[in-house]
Amino acid sequence: MLVSWNYRFRNSPMDHIDPRARFIFSFALLFAATATWNPIILFVLFLIAITWYLMARLTWKDTKVGWFMISIMLFTMIVVNTLITGGGAGGVVPPGGQLVWPGGFDLFGKHFTFGLTVERVWFAISQLMRILSISLAFIIIPYTMDSRAYGVTFSKLGMPDRLAYTMELSFRFIPTLARNFQVTLDAQRARGFELDGGKGNFIKKIRRVAPLLIPVTMNAIVSSEDIANAMDLRGFGEQKRTWLYELKFNWWDWALIVFSVLMLATVLLLAFRFDMRLFSVPGWFYGLFNK
Amino acid sequence: MAKQTEKKSIWAFGTKQVVYAAIGAALYAVLTWAFNVWQIPGDGNVGIRPAIVIPMFFGIAFGPIVGFITGFVGNILADMLSGYGFWIWWDLGNGIIGLIPGLFKAHRLCGELSVIVGSAAGMGLASASEFWVSGADFNTVLLANFVPSFVTNIIWGLVLLPLLMIAYAAILKRSGR
Repeated sequence: MLVSWNYRFRNSPMDHIDPRARFIFSFALLFAATATWNPIILFVLFLIAITWYLMARLTWKDTKVGWFMISIMLFTMIVVNTLITGGGAGGVVPPGGQLVWPGGFDLFGKHFTFGLTVERVWFAISQLMRILSISLAFIIIPYTMDSRAYGVTFSKLGMPDRLAYTMELSFRFIPTLARNFQVTLDAQRARGFELDGGKGNFIKKIRRVAPLLIPVTMNAIVSSEDIANAMDLRGFGEQKRTWLYELKFNWWDWALIVFSVLMLATVLLLAFRFDMRLFSVPGWFYGLFNK
Repeated sequence: MAKQTEKKSIWAFGTKQVVYAAIGAALYAVLTWAFNVWQIPGDGNVGIRPAIVIPMFFGIAFGPIVGFITGFVGNILADMLSGYGFWIWWDLGNGIIGLIPGLFKAHRLCGELSVIVGSAAGMGLASASEFWVSGADFNTVLLANFVPSFVTNIIWGLVLLPLLMIAYAAILKRSGR
C-alpha cells in the first residue's frame, strides 16, 4: 500500500504564502461566513474564497475526491432538505412566504402542487454560498501545504511544542504504518483471510476486521516503546525545540493577516452592530417570480 | 496526596505520551484511509469507520490526552490523505471520542459506557456544528449527520474495543509491564 501526500510544489501564489498567515485567513473566513446570513456579505465572502482558491492553481483532477464528498453533502442539505422538504430552512427562514408556483404546475400531463417558496430558494442560494466559501478555503490545505510545515506552523501559532511535535511525528509514522498494514493484510490473506467475504451475522462480519486491526495496532504500540526510549536518551523536551523547516513572514503575509483581521472585524461589526446578521431576501429576487 | 498523584498521571504528557499519541494518530489516519471504501449511502461526510476504535482504545490505554490527540490529529491526517480538506469541528468530535474513554478509565467507570458517551458527545458536537456552519435544521443534523455516525461508531467500538483490550493485556503480561 503506497501512501502519498497530495501536496506538491506548484509554484503558485499560495506556495509563497506563510502557512501561519494561511491558517489565520482560513479561520477568519470560517468565522466571518458563519456569523451572518446576509446575502450581500455572503456573496462578497464567496468572491474572496474563489479568489483564494484560484491562487492555489489546483486542477479538477487534484481535488475531485474532496469535491465529490462536498457535492453529496450539498445535495443532501440544499436540494433534499431545503428545496424539496423545506426542513433545512427551519429556524432561519420565517414560516410562510411567497410560493414559486402559486397555482401548481403541469408535468407529464398531471397537475402538481409544490410548496416551494421564494424565501427557501434564496436560502438555498445563501446556504450554497456559505458552504462553498468555507469549502473553498479549507479543501486546498492538503494540496498546498508541505507536510513538514504543520508542526512548526502550529508551534509558531502558539501550540505547545510537545503537541506540535506530536503532529510532526505522526506524519513521519504514516508511511511505516501503511506498510505494516499492507504486510499484515498480505499475511492474513495467505492464511485465507477475506475481509468482505464469508458468511455470518452482522457482528461476525464486524469481528472479521479484528485479524487485521489488532496485529497492526499491537505492533505499533510495541515499537513505540523503543522510539520513546530513544527520544528520552536524546533529551527530548529538555530545552525549547528548534525546527528544521523554518518559516519566515514576508510583507504579503502581514498584509494577508491584516486583511483577515479587517475582514472578520467588518463582518462582525455589520452583523451585530448594524443588524445584518439575519436572513433576508432582496426585493429584486421576488420580482423574478412575479412575472 | 494519592488523589494528586492520580490527577497528575491522567494529564501527564511526557515523551511516552507524545509517541503514543503520534502513533495513535498515524494509525487512525492509515486505517481510516484504508477503509474509506466503506461509506454510508446518502451521507456524504459519514463513513463506516472500523478505525474509530483506535482513539477509544488509545484513550483507555494511555490516557485522555493521548486519546484526544489520536482522534483529533488522526482525523486531520485521514482527511488529508483522502483529500477531504480540513473540518475542524469533525476533528474535535473525533478527539472527544478518544478523550472521554480516557476520562472514564481514569475514574474506573465502565468502558462500554464510555464508548457510548464518547461517541454521543463527539458526534453530537461535530453534527451540531452543521447548525452554524451549514445552516442545517435539527432533522438534517440528527438524521443525516448524528445518527449514522453515532450508531456506526458505537457498534465498532463495542465489538472491537474488548478485542483490542484483550490483545493489549496479553502484550503487557508478556512484556512484564
